[in-house]
Amino acid sequence: MRGGGFGLLPAPLVPLDVSLGESPVFAYAARRLLATVPLFLLATLAVFWLVNEVGDPRDRLATCSTCDQSAYDHLVELYQLEDPIVVRWGNWLGAAVTGDMGEAISQGNEPVMGIVRERAKNTALIAIPAFLLTVVVALGMSVWSAIRQYSASDYLITGVSFIGIAIPTFVLGLALQTLMLWSLKYWDLKPFYVSGMRDDSLLEFFRSAAMPAFTLAFISIGAEARFGRAAMLEVVGSDYIRTARAKGLAERTVIMKHALRNGLVTFVTVWALDFAALVGGALITETVFNWPGLGRLLIGSLFAQDIHLAMAAIFFISGLAIVCNLLADLLYGVIDPRIRFD
Amino acid sequence: MTKRRLLQLLAVLFAFSLVAAACGDSDSDDSSGDGDSEQQADDGNQTAAEATTTEAPEAPVATEPAAPDVEEGATGGTLIWAHEQEPPDLHLNDPNNNLTVTAWLLQPMLEDLYGISAAVTFYPELLAEEAELVDNGDGTITANYTLRGGLSWSDGEPLTANDVLFTWETIMEEGEPDEEGNPTMVLSYADRTGYDTIIDFTVNSDTEFSITWSAFFAGWKGLFTNVLPSHALPGGAAEAEEALRDWTNAAGDTLPSSGPLVFENWEREVAVTYSVNANYHGSMSPDARNDGLPFVDEVVARFVPDTDAQINALKAEEAHLITAQPQTAFGEEVATDDTFQVATAPGPIFEHWGLNLLNPHLTDPLVREALAYALDKGAVMEFLYTPIFGSALPASGLGNTYWMTNQPQYENHQQEYDGAQTDAAAAKLAEAGYTLNGDGIYEHPERGALTLRVGTTGGNALRELQQQIIQAQLKDAGIDIVIDNVPGAAYFGEKPFSGEALAASSSAGAEGDPTIWDITQFAWVGGPWPGSQSGAYKHTSGFMPYGFVSEDFVTRSDECDATVDDTTRDACYNELNRWVTTLEIDAEDGLFMLPLTQKPTFYAYNKVLLLGAGASPDVNHGGPLANVVDFQLAG
Repeated sequence: MRGGGFGLLPAPLVPLDVSLGESPVFAYAARRLLATVPLFLLATLAVFWLVNEVGDPRDRLATCSTCDQSAYDHLVELYQLEDPIVVRWGNWLGAAVTGDMGEAISQGNEPVMGIVRERAKNTALIAIPAFLLTVVVALGMSVWSAIRQYSASDYLITGVSFIGIAIPTFVLGLALQTLMLWSLKYWDLKPFYVSGMRDDSLLEFFRSAAMPAFTLAFISIGAEARFGRAAMLEVVGSDYIRTARAKGLAERTVIMKHALRNGLVTFVTVWALDFAALVGGALITETVFNWPGLGRLLIGSLFAQDIHLAMAAIFFISGLAIVCNLLADLLYGVIDPRIRFD
Repeated sequence: MTKRRLLQLLAVLFAFSLVAAACGDSDSDDSSGDGDSEQQADDGNQTAAEATTTEAPEAPVATEPAAPDVEEGATGGTLIWAHEQEPPDLHLNDPNNNLTVTAWLLQPMLEDLYGISAAVTFYPELLAEEAELVDNGDGTITANYTLRGGLSWSDGEPLTANDVLFTWETIMEEGEPDEEGNPTMVLSYADRTGYDTIIDFTVNSDTEFSITWSAFFAGWKGLFTNVLPSHALPGGAAEAEEALRDWTNAAGDTLPSSGPLVFENWEREVAVTYSVNANYHGSMSPDARNDGLPFVDEVVARFVPDTDAQINALKAEEAHLITAQPQTAFGEEVATDDTFQVATAPGPIFEHWGLNLLNPHLTDPLVREALAYALDKGAVMEFLYTPIFGSALPASGLGNTYWMTNQPQYENHQQEYDGAQTDAAAAKLAEAGYTLNGDGIYEHPERGALTLRVGTTGGNALRELQQQIIQAQLKDAGIDIVIDNVPGAAYFGEKPFSGEALAASSSAGAEGDPTIWDITQFAWVGGPWPGSQSGAYKHTSGFMPYGFVSEDFVTRSDECDATVDDTTRDACYNELNRWVTTLEIDAEDGLFMLPLTQKPTFYAYNKVLLLGAGASPDVNHGGPLANVVDFQLAG
């Protein structure tokens, strides 16, 4: 059963008793996944070419006065440097799909996948809390701003949003660190660590993760709050909301049950994209706070001309971005049944 | 209690726990103990690094901050060193590793037969005394060694002459020949020079052994750095090749240490952790004040790639010691912040401008002399280095590429060129046939305008500023300098050490491409045995970029290396330096090296937490843990 209503109230969500196998959602998802394959292949080829253009791994040996030909030969064999780029990419891809993404010469020749998994986990430890914080705060700010349009609090929220959008990540990160330093210097108080990940205890972990997570969240909150405010304003000004109010429904019910659920469509799209951006874009935050995550791993591997490690990190990040985009599209249709998947 | 109230209470408790954790907390554990300690620091024999040469420039003195009073019994705690670079593994001699930070991490774990002092001289480290050198009269040379008594590995096993023998055998162990029948070596090792000419190794007792070389090797004291534990590597070179990477042998045991620290673990991209070697036999370094165990309980080398993050970690008391690159902004910030103490000293690395003798302008010795006259090293020091490093470096710059200013053998061979002598430069250019054009740049009727490219590792702020200062100086003298940098270490492979450039250099332009670069600015690493510097100048080394092809130099260099007498050999190296930094010996091809300054070793430490840090910053590029026995945390 699909909702219908009388055109004055929005249709409810798709009932749960519709099996996915019969649903156009599944077919749509399958088509999208298939469509992402050539996109993914193209992306990996482009990135593979770019990573190799960063520099020749043999350049590192240029200043090694005692390196003999075997050192060069080793790199040539490891990266197939004498083969055309497309051949090298093909060989890399063929191994990658079987789970073998090579060894990291910058990390003691350890298998790349294990390293990437570990770093991805570390990034998730700040990205997920940042994401949850973003969801809650941005949503709250958007709703409040929309229902208190042009009020002092609306202007305050707008100002904070613009600061979040404008401020570079590293500036915010360094500013937070400076705040901690002042706190230590003048009040002998330092609730949070400025550098590194601590995992001795839950409290120590929280103290070390709080600032990088907040930095990530603050940047995202700014943008999401603006998007959300615009979406909520459009919804709040709709006829059915006016009708709901006219019917005497409590303002809380009008906003939380009717307006917000329709405004969610915008949020879901932004959330999905934002999550991928949080994971992939934590690079600067991780550098400022010395957090051993995926972003820092990527930068380090590029500087070390560790092609396998760089490709694996990018492979993971781009795969996540594609999945999140697909998820956004699917959720879009699930939340708003007016959207068709054919 | 309602759910809402419960949540509120939990929030308050959580906030309280944060405040409790934050108040007065620092990343270092409080030092323990008020009682007497066996680890009292000796007065020590710390020597100031003074130059004692016949041509004495102002003698640089290691900048030692006024050390706070060392508390009796100030022992314990975790010393945290924040460093930017993490090595791929701990196999220092793997050519694919070959990183300074690897040597720094190994420094406190494995000791050498001879250590290197702050005065850049060898001192007996594992040895009881200087080895006795015997000329056998048939061209062979024998050194008779005596190890200190009571030497021990961290696992309690004695360190004996057999470990030294094992080290040599491991380095020289051959593997299966390759496809073309060439011999291969089992252990990756950067440079076997000196090991490969040993013709006899005799162990006479646990502490006495003799080594005989087929011919005298001037760098013999620099051999047997990092003596290996034979008992922990029963598989020989094959086992060592893998064990040295992650410091774990085939049986899964951590390799034992002969130094003050023992490897505990390595968390990638986070830190390497050491514990104290309870069986440490004590340091023999003349620079160490403590000849016992380290005062601290633990040392953590934390990897912090970003300089700003390092500084903030230091300020936030999450690191005690940093050794960042002494870039100008960092130097200014650190030097002006009273949270820090900054220790600097002239290091063994020296910056220089190297000239490509194959360039049409630079092939003329008069042009090279003009450059030397116009370049004012003193001004570079005054504007760039002195504000940050004070009197740690000589104000007149560096005048030698074999000996550094803090070595007694140092002589400044470029005094003639000191100062901005634009008139002298003009005279040389006029003599060479140059005249000033309308742009104020000298021009030659055949060679064209005197425009030269100078390149370095782009992104290094200090080097780029240095280029710009010298560029301005030379422009005043009518020499046009164009800055042609390549980002990062890629510079070397693209410019002076590219295959084409090296081919041109070693063939005097007959092969390769001599036009890739004109002037190069980078650093070479010196040491107590400067003979290795000759490798940069001998066209037979395959690593000489300057286009200097001189059989006479190669012959003389080999003669210097073969000279047994120390004083005679030291003077010989000064002669070689005159060859490359003046026109006194080679009037045509000399003066292609313009040494600028020693690169200062530089570290900053948080004086609130760190005492006893009057320990000299390591001038020998052994890293901050070279003096780890002296560091103490505040009580």
